[in-house]
Amino acid sequence: MLLSAFMLAAACSNSDPGIEPEAFGATGRGVFILCEGNYQAGNSTLSYYNPATREVENGIFQRANGAKLGDTGQSIQIYDGVAYVAMENSGIIWALDTATFRVRGQLTAGETEHMINPRYIHFLSSEKAYVTDLYSPYITVFNPRTMQYTGSISTRQAISFGYSSTEEMVQWGNRVFTNCWSYSNKILVIDTTRDVVCDSIVLDSWQPKSMALDSRGKLWVITDGGYSTGDDSFGDNIPHLYCIDATTLAIESDQPLDTDEANVQLAMNPDRTVLYLINNDVYRMEVTASHVPVRPFIEAGRNKNGTRNYLYGIGVDPHNGDIYVGDAVDYRQAGMVYRYSAEGTLIDQFRVGITPNGFAFK
Amino acid sequence: MDLDEVQVTGQRRLRDTGVQRTVLDSLVLHQNVALSMSDILTQHSTLFIKSYGRATESTAEFRGTSPSHTQVLWNGMKINSPMLGTVDFSTIPAYFVDQANLLHGASSLTLTGGGLGGAVDMHTLPLFDQGHSLQYIQGAGSFRTFDQFLRYTYGNEHWSSSTRLVYSTSKNDFKYTNYDKLGHPTERNKSGYFDDVHAMQDVYYRDGKGNRIGLMGWYTHSLRGLPFLSVDYKNNTDFKNEHRHDAARAVVSWDRTLDQWNVGVRGGYLWQDNRYDYFTTRETVSTDITHARSRSQQGYVQANADWMPRANWLVTADLALYYNHVRSTDKSPFHIGDNYNLGRMEYNLSLSAKYRPVKNLSLSAILREECYRHDFVPVIPALFAEYVIHRPWNLVVKASVARNYRYPSMDDLYYKPGGNPNLRPERGITYDGGLECRIEKKRYSLSANLSAFDSYITDWILWTPNAKGYWQPSNLKKVHNYGTEMTATAMVRMKHHWKLTLTGNYAFTPSINKSERLADNDASYGKQLVYVPRHSTNLSGRLSWKTWTLTYQWTHYSERFTTTSNDVSYITGRLRPYFMNDISLEKTFQWRKCHASLKGCVNNLLGSEYVTVLSRPMAGRNFEIFLEIKPQWHKHKKK
Repeated sequence: MLLSAFMLAAACSNSDPGIEPEAFGATGRGVFILCEGNYQAGNSTLSYYNPATREVENGIFQRANGAKLGDTGQSIQIYDGVAYVAMENSGIIWALDTATFRVRGQLTAGETEHMINPRYIHFLSSEKAYVTDLYSPYITVFNPRTMQYTGSISTRQAISFGYSSTEEMVQWGNRVFTNCWSYSNKILVIDTTRDVVCDSIVLDSWQPKSMALDSRGKLWVITDGGYSTGDDSFGDNIPHLYCIDATTLAIESDQPLDTDEANVQLAMNPDRTVLYLINNDVYRMEVTASHVPVRPFIEAGRNKNGTRNYLYGIGVDPHNGDIYVGDAVDYRQAGMVYRYSAEGTLIDQFRVGITPNGFAFK
Repeated sequence: MDLDEVQVTGQRRLRDTGVQRTVLDSLVLHQNVALSMSDILTQHSTLFIKSYGRATESTAEFRGTSPSHTQVLWNGMKINSPMLGTVDFSTIPAYFVDQANLLHGASSLTLTGGGLGGAVDMHTLPLFDQGHSLQYIQGAGSFRTFDQFLRYTYGNEHWSSSTRLVYSTSKNDFKYTNYDKLGHPTERNKSGYFDDVHAMQDVYYRDGKGNRIGLMGWYTHSLRGLPFLSVDYKNNTDFKNEHRHDAARAVVSWDRTLDQWNVGVRGGYLWQDNRYDYFTTRETVSTDITHARSRSQQGYVQANADWMPRANWLVTADLALYYNHVRSTDKSPFHIGDNYNLGRMEYNLSLSAKYRPVKNLSLSAILREECYRHDFVPVIPALFAEYVIHRPWNLVVKASVARNYRYPSMDDLYYKPGGNPNLRPERGITYDGGLECRIEKKRYSLSANLSAFDSYITDWILWTPNAKGYWQPSNLKKVHNYGTEMTATAMVRMKHHWKLTLTGNYAFTPSINKSERLADNDASYGKQLVYVPRHSTNLSGRLSWKTWTLTYQWTHYSERFTTTSNDVSYITGRLRPYFMNDISLEKTFQWRKCHASLKGCVNNLLGSEYVTVLSRPMAGRNFEIFLEIKPQWHKHKKK
């Protein structure tokens, strides 16, 4: 018995000893879909969708590079034909070739002074980009061409309840705006000529979660309103949608939304005249309108008990205005992506990785 | 090593009617001072141990249930964390347990409620009439691992005292090929160090008139680094990520045995303090990533009485009261101040009657009532039966049916954010059947147990993320567990002092999600639960000749899925089957003044590269040697 057990064991392999890199050659337009994965599992993945052929390739990072993408993929952006992926809990930013999906460069937390958990990347030029962070009270500056760390910007924010987070970034002129989500109610303004935080906007609602800039220079900000758990609350737990003039920094409108349990995300159409908003369902709003419509533009699917699908991420194709919505399902299985036309007609749907949260368009 | 083997008695006890039990004796538990209970359960039971590595969190699952469905008792007192409902078996040195009973499925109701999967019942045992004994073991192994064990015991006719100390420390920075990173570099396990101290004292007194008093105390201090993921690119020198754990447990007991009565009273106290810290101090700026504290205290009293009016009747009653208090704090962005600071009472009452109407047939009925806060769970009934088919082989057929309930843990109810005070207890119904035999001859012995079970759990408490980004528990899940468990042990004594012992355990445990679909695209219905293997097997062989002993251990888990939909289209969707081989060789020396032994162990003999949890690399082939010294004194002789 022992001998047979030994032979059996000797004949078997326990682990996946890496996979041979696969050759890809993605030409034409395509959509990268970042799937966040589960925190501390290292199972974040990247998918690639061809809108023309409606074919999807899942797990392309690992297949192209023979290595894992990492833990908790937070955001993806394409700049100068290179896809940059911020892997939050891995502490790395990948630069990927958008045709072969091979790694062209990387910036790790260990190579910088202050980066801990990178969240979003904003490109000022081919040689300068900012990185926000969940924990660090600094914004990291790096050169996207060389993937070298070049400096950092103190956010000058006192750590609030143990957090000092910065999230998404948008630019208007020489100003970059970034929202402080965790336990904060601030929008920071960075002077890009001096790389310093030069101003801030204080909101009445807590935890600004997502931002978008329209064609008129109006900054749209949505908060999640804090939380309410049992008898403990922080903020009023009601998401608010703000419209802020990016030049004067004046708050022009503040609209509370009618939900207290929603993931909220913003996106703009290609000419930045229409705002899309995930708030359980997807809403569509002209940027000149005074209020978010009562009826959703795209309703989330519901099961027979009326439970909605968990819409988690949204992206709009800058080439044709197609809307891509990620559905987390139960957050522990392959998520779904729904592709709609700009008019809201479902064009396609497909499975990707766990918790699709970000889209980048080639 | 000179180990005391606990002999299995041939007498069938009415108390054990229909019970599916696996007994781990000191021969198994005390085979290696470096092993924790999680290692022992992995190698010698059908339980599935989900482990993040040596000296990291390890939980035990019976029959494809969850770790919180395993109730754990130490000298009669439940030691499941009142916060989480689970036990980290990596913090229990196997050398501190003299006997462990694994009660499968419904059989756990003979001890406690809430064990929807089963119960692990651990005991220290007195050593009356043994005189003085001193034992010291020094272990030294790979990755700068050092294990020290010291035990002093004294036992006379009335008193037994045992003092044990374990100190284990390791840098645990093993090298591994990191297949998760570009170019598959060779890296070291980062932040995997540990520094654990355990001290245990137990004292027993018996008066020879049926009274026995016991006092058991156990203190643990543990400092453990929390290893970085294989996909972490931070410098471990910039970050500190560690868990400090302190625990003190004490139980005092009084048992009285009379002709027809056994009565007992117990009291206990459990204190646990956990501190998790993950922070960086780069450039003199300190940033906390995790800063969590929890302190729990548990008081416990229990009284039990057994009445045996006739040889074929046994009636038992048991009442246990627990008071748990937990103070939990962390830096979550979702609450201010304490996470929660609350206490709750728990009451357990059990009545049972066991009856042997004819020589070969035994029946047993249990009624159990439990209450937590001010909420009573429904009465838990359980029925057991067994029939002796062939007495020379001790061939017995067993069957049982039982309801069971597990009430929510305090985190389930009160954790912020997400805790749900409206949770209902989880409900289970289990059907068990099986065969058991034991044959003992002069030259050989054979024992085997085969059981099949069918179990349905509804209102399974499941934490799922909500739209706000935090996790919330709800009574979401229905799970169908079924399958078989087999254990077999064979021992052969051969000529010229050869002795061979072979032990095997196998479990087939489909654990199928039958919950209503969360959404119309939920593909998890009808799929195996995450991280639960369908097959688990272990085999061990022990060959001894005179003063030499060779031990071989083989462990296998089938593939485990990492997603609820069991999707294997991408590589992180499953963990490949797990095979592990360990071997040890021991030589004992017996001099007049001293006994000694030298033992060498090779763990992961084939140098397998593997993970048991995604992105958590495990150590390759590693070595440890142990030197044991036992001075020999004049033994106390019974008059």
